Amino acid sequence: MTRKRITNLWIALFLLPTIIVLAMFYVVPIATVFITGFTQWNGFNAPQFVGLENYIKLFTYDNTFAVSIRNLLLWSLIAGTIHVGFGTLVAFILYKRPRGWKVVRGVFMIPNVIAAAAWAIIYKFMFNDDIGVINNLIRGIGFENFHVKWFYESPAAFFAITFTWLFFAVYVCLIVLNDLMAIPKEVHEAAYLDGATEWQVTRFINLPLVRNAIGTGVILSVTSRIAMFEEIQLTSRGGPGNETYNISLMLYEGIVNYEYGYANAAGTIMILLGILVLVLINRLFKMNERVY
Amino acid sequence: MQEIGSSNKWIGKIFMYAVMAFTVIVCTFPLLWVMVSSFKSNREILGNPFTLPTSINFEAYVNVFTQYNFLNYFLNSLMIAGCATVIALFIYSLAGYIFAKFDFRGKMLLFALCTITLLVPGHTKAQPIFALIMNLGLYDTKAGLILVYTSIGMALSLFILRSSFMTIPKDLDEAALLDGAGFFRTFWSVNLPLARSGLATAGILMFLNYWNEYFFALMLTTSSTNRTLPVALQFFDSAFAYNYTNMFAALTLTVLPGIIIYLLVQEQVQQSVASSGVKG
Repeated sequence: MTRKRITNLWIALFLLPTIIVLAMFYVVPIATVFITGFTQWNGFNAPQFVGLENYIKLFTYDNTFAVSIRNLLLWSLIAGTIHVGFGTLVAFILYKRPRGWKVVRGVFMIPNVIAAAAWAIIYKFMFNDDIGVINNLIRGIGFENFHVKWFYESPAAFFAITFTWLFFAVYVCLIVLNDLMAIPKEVHEAAYLDGATEWQVTRFINLPLVRNAIGTGVILSVTSRIAMFEEIQLTSRGGPGNETYNISLMLYEGIVNYEYGYANAAGTIMILLGILVLVLINRLFKMNERVY
Repeated sequence: MQEIGSSNKWIGKIFMYAVMAFTVIVCTFPLLWVMVSSFKSNREILGNPFTLPTSINFEAYVNVFTQYNFLNYFLNSLMIAGCATVIALFIYSLAGYIFAKFDFRGKMLLFALCTITLLVPGHTKAQPIFALIMNLGLYDTKAGLILVYTSIGMALSLFILRSSFMTIPKDLDEAALLDGAGFFRTFWSVNLPLARSGLATAGILMFLNYWNEYFFALMLTTSSTNRTLPVALQFFDSAFAYNYTNMFAALTLTVLPGIIIYLLVQEQVQQSVASSGVKG
C-alpha cells in the first residue's frame, strides 16, 4: 500500500467514532422525530401512519398548546428586550473597565455553571411564602399581609418563572463584550477628534458595531426559552392549571405517557420554531451584512 | 458648563456601579442565602430568613450523607460526567485533528453537519434517544447515560479542538514523519500534547454540562443506584419534607463543585464562551 492509501485509512478511522455518534444521536433521531410525528406509536407496536392527527390533537385537544405558544411569545419578548438588554448594558459598562469589572464578569457566570435543576429549586425556596426571602422582604417593608404563593398562583407563577432566568444574561454579556473589545482603536480616536462625546461614541459607533453580537444573544436567549424545562418542571410543573406550560413540557409528557408520535410532533414544532427564530433574527439584525 | 459635565459624569459613575452591584447581588445572593441557611436550624430558618446562624452546625451535612445516600449520587454524577468527558475528548480530538489538518472529499459538509446540530435543542430528540437506549438494553444504567452525554458535547468540542489543532504548525508533523513516527504517533505524541489548552477548555465545559444535566438523567434512569445529583435533588425535596436545613445542605453540596471548578479556570471558560458564542 502506498503512503497516501495508509493516510486515507487513518483519516477514515479517526473520523469513524464521530460519524457513528453523528448518525446514532443526531441524524437518525432527528429524521425519526420528523417522520414519526405523522404516526401513532407507543414504542411497543410498529408506528402507524395517521397523517396530521398528532398535530391536530396538539393544536385542538385543549388549550395547552395555545397557552404554550403564548408563553413562548411573551417569554421571547422579555428575553429579547429585558434579558438581552441587561446583558448588553453590563457589557457596555464592563467595556469601560471600571474598578472591579473583572469580578463582576466572573460572578455573572456563576448562575450558569451550576445545575439548572438546583437553580430552579433554589428559586422555589426564594419565592416560598414561609421561608422565602422575597415574601419576607416584601412583608418587612410594610406590606404585612403579602402572602402570594408565587409558583402556585395566577398570574404570579408566570413572573416567578421569568425571574429564574431574567437577569442571568452572562452569555449575551460576554459575546457583546468580546465584539466591543475588537473594535479598532482608530475608530474611536477619529470620532473623538471630530468632537464626538463619549455618549455619542457609545450610541452611534459602538452599539451599531456590535449588532451581530446582540443578534446572536437574542437567538441564544430565545432558543433557550423554547427548550426551557427545569425552570418549569421543578417549580410550577406547568401550573396552576396549564398556565405556565411550554412545548418542552408537552413533549416530556408525551414520552412518559407512551404517546411517541405526539411527543415527536411537539419536537418537530420545537425544531421548526428554532429555525424560524434564527432566520427572523438574522433578517432583523441584518447579521449577514458586513459590519465594518 | 463644566459643572453640568462633571455632575453628569457622577451620575454616570453611580449608575454604572449600581448596575454592577445589582449584577453581583442577583448572582450571588440566592447561593449565599442557601449556603448560610444550611448551617441554621430548621426553627431559625422558619423564624427569619435573613438572620445569620446562631451557631455553626454541620449536622445537616452529616444527615445528608448518612440518611439519604448522598455520597452514592455524588459518586454517580462524578463517574458519569467524568467518563463521558474523557471518552468525548478522545473521540472528538481524533476528528478535530482530521478536520484541522487533512483534506478529503465532503470535509466541509461533514463539519457543517456536525456543528449545525447545535441549532437543534437536545430535548427534541428525547424520544428517539430514549428508544435507542432502551433497544441497546442500557435503560437505567450508567453506561447509557455516559453514551448520551458523550454525544451531547460533539459540536462544542469539535469547534474548540479543531481550532486548537489548527494552531499547531504542520512542519512539526512532517518532522515527526521524517523521524519515522507513524500517523497515530504523530497525532498522539506530537499534536495532542500541544493542544492541551484546547483539551482543557473543551473538557471543562463538557464536564460542567454533564455534571449539571437533568433532562436525560431524569428520563433515562429510574433506580436510585444510577441516579445523578440534579435528579436526586428533586427526590430530596419531597423526602426532606419540611426539613429545610437538610435540603439547603444538599443544594450546597450539589452546586459547590461546579462553582469551584469554574473559579479555578474562569478565564478559559469565559474566553471560549466569548469567542464561540456557544453554550453547549
